Amino acid sequence: MAETVLLIERVAVGGPESPRVTLEIAAHTTVSVVGEDHTGIGNLGRVAIGLKPPGDGRVTVMGTDLATLSRSELLAYRRLVGYLPAGDGLLQNLTLHQNVALPLRFGSNFSESQIASRLNIMLAATRLTGAEQLRPAQASEEQRRRAALARALAFDPDLVVLEDVFVGLTDRAARDVLETARGGDLPQGSRRTVLTIGPVLPSSVIQRFDLRYRMTRQGLQPED
Amino acid sequence: MSQFGALARFLFMTLWAWRSLPRAGRRVVRRIFINQVWFTAIQAIPLIAMLAGILSFLVISQAARELGRIGATELIGTLMVVVIVRELGPLLTALAIVGRSGTAIAAELATNRVMGEIDALEGMGIDPIHYLVLPRFLAAIVSVFGLLIVFDLAAVLAGLAGAVISGMTSARYLSVVLATLTVSDVGLTIAKGLVFGIVIGIVPSFHGLRSGTAATEVPIAAAHAVIVSIVAIFVLSAVFVMVG
Repeated sequence: MAETVLLIERVAVGGPESPRVTLEIAAHTTVSVVGEDHTGIGNLGRVAIGLKPPGDGRVTVMGTDLATLSRSELLAYRRLVGYLPAGDGLLQNLTLHQNVALPLRFGSNFSESQIASRLNIMLAATRLTGAEQLRPAQASEEQRRRAALARALAFDPDLVVLEDVFVGLTDRAARDVLETARGGDLPQGSRRTVLTIGPVLPSSVIQRFDLRYRMTRQGLQPED
Repeated sequence: MSQFGALARFLFMTLWAWRSLPRAGRRVVRRIFINQVWFTAIQAIPLIAMLAGILSFLVISQAARELGRIGATELIGTLMVVVIVRELGPLLTALAIVGRSGTAIAAELATNRVMGEIDALEGMGIDPIHYLVLPRFLAAIVSVFGLLIVFDLAAVLAGLAGAVISGMTSARYLSVVLATLTVSDVGLTIAKGLVFGIVIGIVPSFHGLRSGTAATEVPIAAAHAVIVSIVAIFVLSAVFVMVG
């Protein structure tokens, strides 16, 4: 039995009156949740990384109940989880390169040369080499998404939560982004555990998911 | 009152943030701080010098002429030190910085909120207070201090020009100004610089971060930041007069 990496228990993500959602994600699996805005799906990723309190529900990540963490512990914990928010969340006054470097510069004790070599790897892996000096407003949607993904993967996390990651991407780019997030294959599944949350799942990536759920007004339903 | 309490809590969180700032983050905060000082202080020097110069020149040249007629030119010193250096200098400097940088800070942070950048920072494990508020807060204090010195120097020099044009000798002007200037005047000016710097460093950040996620909230946050800052600066000026 694979270890549970993320466990969301009885959380009303759409507000107090909405149905309780329980979601268990095992290590090395790739899981998607699709649904429309009114279902509260937009809050699921925020709940998973502790940006939104779970109410009287519970969120456990890698064995740690997020409710037991102090603010500084919660900030430290988030460095262990890759998070790509809806809308990419890139800082507009920084270049793509500076955006990707920011979590490393702020949250690690790496030297500048270590950061530079890590950045080169990340930029090459996300195919951003050559575009890294663009600011988000100058970059294409795909470049922004790739930069946001590179930033989410900066610390090489075991768990990655991706919101609206496929929106506006071509099938090929969607496949490519997902493979980068998964970090390659291991005998037991993908190297990283990946949770994608968004309105739709492109047909080109469906086969890569181990589990797929649909969020409705009635709650979370598994999809075939 | 609830807003005042929230503002006080926000100030406390910002002061406390210095202690919890990760070692690695200090380098990033230092760079943002330098950028903010460049924008808030260095780029504002011409504006502040011009404001101080025109104000001081007009007041002193008129006063020197009128007071000269009744033989009371020694009051020029009181006028310069009490009215311009001690009262109007900090007030006008703070108002100019609120209009120029306070609006910019509030609008920038509100835009950060609208664009989802605040959540993204939190998601990366970066406290927005560390990354966005702390460097702007420190830069505002340093900038108000620096620009107060610029204001006072420009005011004294422009006052000298005004006095000389009105028939007063430069030696007489400088002697009456320096004779009036006391240690308590300098102390009061420094205290005002510190307090106004704290207001300008905290109020716009508070309103910027508190804005909603709609684009229409950005100008509202900027307007609230400017109004509250101006009111706070005038109220605190009155408090300084009562205490001083």
